[in-house]
Amino acid sequence: MTYAEILQIVTGCVGSFGFALLFNVRGKRLWVAALGGFLSWLIFLLLTRFVDSEPINYFIVSFLISIYAEIMARVMKTPTTSFITTSLIPLIPGGSLYYTMAYAFQSDADRFVEKAVYTLELAAALALGVIAATAFTKLLYSGLRAVTKTKG
Amino acid sequence: MKEKLCLAMDIGEQMLVCGAEVHRVEDSVKRICEAFGAVRTDVFIITSSMVVTVQYGEGDTCTQTRRITSTGTDFEKIHRLNALSRKICADDMTVSQIREELAHIVAVNTYPLWAECVCYAVISGAFALFFGGGGIEAAVAFAIGAQVRLVITAADKAISNKIFSKFIASFTATALAFAALKLGWVPTVDKTMIGIIMTLIPGIGLTNALRDLFTGDSIAGLLRSIEAVLSALAIAAGYFLFAALGGVIG
Repeated sequence: MTYAEILQIVTGCVGSFGFALLFNVRGKRLWVAALGGFLSWLIFLLLTRFVDSEPINYFIVSFLISIYAEIMARVMKTPTTSFITTSLIPLIPGGSLYYTMAYAFQSDADRFVEKAVYTLELAAALALGVIAATAFTKLLYSGLRAVTKTKG
Repeated sequence: MKEKLCLAMDIGEQMLVCGAEVHRVEDSVKRICEAFGAVRTDVFIITSSMVVTVQYGEGDTCTQTRRITSTGTDFEKIHRLNALSRKICADDMTVSQIREELAHIVAVNTYPLWAECVCYAVISGAFALFFGGGGIEAAVAFAIGAQVRLVITAADKAISNKIFSKFIASFTATALAFAALKLGWVPTVDKTMIGIIMTLIPGIGLTNALRDLFTGDSIAGLLRSIEAVLSALAIAAGYFLFAALGGVIG
């Protein structure tokens, strides 16, 4: 891990914590959200060593973090959204949205289109990861329920 | 019967106002109505409106609607409302007990404005560093971040249109970032701007919109998507307007 990477993990975690405060997440749940932010960027950085495509990496991280959110939400008896929305903050493609805007302003059509498509790809990968995790936990739950019913 | 339906709608309305997902609200309202003894409950909810019809016995129906105008994000209230609706379904609570508890939840405080300014400032500063900015760029983002929250609050009060407040906030933030550039405090505005944009960006909105779409709440999902796209355009418009003006002034 380089210094820049550690700085990113720490600031990403601070960002998640800040948003959790703004969204009025309280008590222990605040730390769950901050830990989620920390984990999301840590996993992202670790995966960049194995996965070349950033959107695919985004999808995997978003899937894993959503599973984390689903588990913690059940432990803390609170809606999952509060952990998903805050933990995934470091993955929000703010940088590429800004450059999309900047290239549009500079009338740099090629780079604008390239960045715009890339921003959309990242946003879609992020959302798909969340959706896949939601579907996965729902399936798992109904599966578990069916098993316990036949046994009971 | 009307009173009980009204109570269920009050709880649902508060959940929507606090930014709960549509399917969660629909589910809660339905469960509460059933706990109150409804034989059949038809619930239709989108982010801006609720329609609920309950049926008790033969031909005994009642319909109420609500219009929801403002939404924010308050997970503490959603957490408590969720716990309340579970409690209603599990235990036998009287109407007055539920009313009292609901009043308690609605009265839960959010943080004061200065604390929100600090949050915005810290988030902006942190993300300026995150995206590779230096200490000074982060400091500038920190200061502008606090200002963004003040501008949004003022704009919300003056015109009560979220999209427009984002436009104004983006405009003033760009102006201040370019001022810092002119004064030679920062080498480029890029990192500072990205830090600030992270507080304005509708990333969460877009993710929730896509989730709604995929989980079958198409109308709610479309409404949220349009909102997310419009606020992204508003941020871009604020940036463009100042950058163009700045080009003219020099």
